[in-house]
Amino acid sequence: MPGPATPSLERSPAAPPDGDGRKIIHVDMDAFYASVEQRDAPALRGRPVAVGGSRQRGVVAAASYEARRFGVRSAMSSMAAVRRCPDLVFVPPRFDVYKAVSGQIRAVFARYTALIEPLSLDEAYLDVTDAGGPGSATRIAEEIRAAIRAETGLTASAGVSYNKFLAKLASDHRKPDGLTVIPPGRGEAFVAALAIDRFHGVGPVTAARMRALGIATGADLRARSAEALDAAFGKAGRYYYWAARGVDHRPVKPDRPRKSSGSETTFPQDLTTEAELVAGLAPAVAAVWRHCEASGLRGRTVTLKVKYADFRQITRSRTGPDLLSSQDVLAATGRDLLRGLFPLRAGVRLIGLTVSGFETPPAAEPRQLTLSL
Amino acid sequence: MKVTLERAALLKALGHVQRVVERRTTIPILSNVLVRAAAGALRLKATDLDLEVTEELPADVGQEGATTLPAHTLHDIVRKLPDGSQVTLDMSGDTGQLVLRSGRSRFQLQCLPESDFPDLAAGEMSHRFSLPAGQLKHLIDKTSFAISTEETRYYLNGVYLHTMEHDGATMLRVVSTDGHRLARVEIPAPQGSAGIPGVIVPRKAVAEIQKLIEDPASDVLVEMSATKIRLTLGSVVLTTKLIDGTFPDYGRVIPAGNDKMLVVPKSAFAAAVDRVSTISAERGRAVKLALSDGKLVLSVNNPDSGSATEELDVEYDSSPLDIGFNARYLLDITAQLDSDTAFLKLADPGSPTLVQDREGAPALYVLMPMRV
Repeated sequence: MPGPATPSLERSPAAPPDGDGRKIIHVDMDAFYASVEQRDAPALRGRPVAVGGSRQRGVVAAASYEARRFGVRSAMSSMAAVRRCPDLVFVPPRFDVYKAVSGQIRAVFARYTALIEPLSLDEAYLDVTDAGGPGSATRIAEEIRAAIRAETGLTASAGVSYNKFLAKLASDHRKPDGLTVIPPGRGEAFVAALAIDRFHGVGPVTAARMRALGIATGADLRARSAEALDAAFGKAGRYYYWAARGVDHRPVKPDRPRKSSGSETTFPQDLTTEAELVAGLAPAVAAVWRHCEASGLRGRTVTLKVKYADFRQITRSRTGPDLLSSQDVLAATGRDLLRGLFPLRAGVRLIGLTVSGFETPPAAEPRQLTLSL
Repeated sequence: MKVTLERAALLKALGHVQRVVERRTTIPILSNVLVRAAAGALRLKATDLDLEVTEELPADVGQEGATTLPAHTLHDIVRKLPDGSQVTLDMSGDTGQLVLRSGRSRFQLQCLPESDFPDLAAGEMSHRFSLPAGQLKHLIDKTSFAISTEETRYYLNGVYLHTMEHDGATMLRVVSTDGHRLARVEIPAPQGSAGIPGVIVPRKAVAEIQKLIEDPASDVLVEMSATKIRLTLGSVVLTTKLIDGTFPDYGRVIPAGNDKMLVVPKSAFAAAVDRVSTISAERGRAVKLALSDGKLVLSVNNPDSGSATEELDVEYDSSPLDIGFNARYLLDITAQLDSDTAFLKLADPGSPTLVQDREGAPALYVLMPMRV
């Protein structure tokens, strides 16, 4: 990313080094549930909408921007919300729809990186460090926002920076439908001007305690020693200490990693010979291996699926002791599994191949390669 | 049944058959050895249902008959009897127990009826040939190290015995692989072996055959059917089920186009690999070979414990190459070589390497590198 070089940060000896060159994007859908409802019901557009609860009881799960203008917030009781916004329209939540949209969004993310850490249905961190060349994180964030708009009709805000803490602050900076980039070297300044209740991890109670200690902004927090913060906030003190300096080394953790990758092909005519089946398997092998290459993940279980002309379907799988190290090994395993089906009970109309048991192969550890038997 | 024989002969025969008997088995009779006295001989038989070993030895038969006895117990008893003693097995009582007498020792052993003892039912053997025991030993000694123990690819859990036309001659070949390395050894096909089906002989049987061969000059009779193989080595007969599977087309992984030739002094190379690998981690004992003109630098780098390098003068004049191998595998393979030098043909750090005594030697080894 072009821009000023990362200035050296003051750090205690135990501190991890900064400037590890990561590129993190935080994507956050704008008023997600409410926006989905407004998208699907034109009558709701432009009106203050609360998802969840009812006029009489319950809690607001999400509020549209029109409602937020009146001070309606999520987790507010319905009664309180109605007091602030008498015209508030309550709609029941449709979680299956939100989940489906969330799936669409994650599919967009997955085009750029396998390192996706979803925080909820509408929010995720992406590590795109290895996803492209210089300046690419900002471009990727723009492309993701455009793709989300095109494919879901909804808007998202995104923040781009070199760690999770700053990326999340950035995505919040110009909501809705905004993009903010905090390049290396700007993190500390960005944080300095921030009111402390905008810090991720600082809730109303902590904010009040901080204000009582004379800490109102990031700059105030920055002025405190690590020891003072430790004493006042315990373990969290260290997090605040580094947050005030724009430092955050938490990795993006894909907490629900993809369990498998598969591909299948239906043939115009039923296949009957081994040679035809092996050839028919090739596209699936190539597609699955492409995913392995792109994600940097390697599996150890290969599952072959075959649908016969009579629509009977069977699967055969094999788990090896080693992670599949090459496309050749994957292809050979697939061939082996195919051979086990002979003599065929009927012609074959569909072949699919799935690799599962994904692991990230240890990069530093020497890895034994396998013969393509 | 009543039979008397030499302790030494009985001990040796029991030593052969009792190895087949599994220490832990859920079928009681499989812990036993079958003993049958008839026609001036005692016949012993042990099985694990996949593998069966029988041995016949001369004995003074007082009364013909048969029973089964706990194999390991019997072996232990006979082992502890004094050298040069005579052993009598006597079932003449009707107690259902066998009395073993030797000198002033007397053991009463619980028996199981002979009729319950499983028979491998070898059936008709379709192919038959003989070869010197020394040649058979050579074939399996040089390949058994690479047999896979991984059960998912069960068809690699043995050696692949088959014949093959090679340079106009029919060869008897044995191949083994564990997916990381492969061994292929051949001899001119003994008379009668051409046209045998390709068979996979299981690991346990291979190990037993290795132990049973004593006199390399004696002949071994090999008989085969589609599902079993039987070897007769003098008075010992070993019969085993074959692994029911298809051995992979191993020819595909034997590199033909490797053009970087390396000749190393075998013992010095093995010793150096062993030395530098002292520092390597338990897992993935990778050693790096850095090749340049006439020089090989072996190195191991272990972030936890340190590093080691050693330099060797070698015959090498191709372009420089860095390639990693599992040190254990390198040592296993060099241990199979008979010559003073090891001849390696390399391609690149991600492709199989060929190791032989010399160019075109009848034994060849393929080793997959490690990424380091």
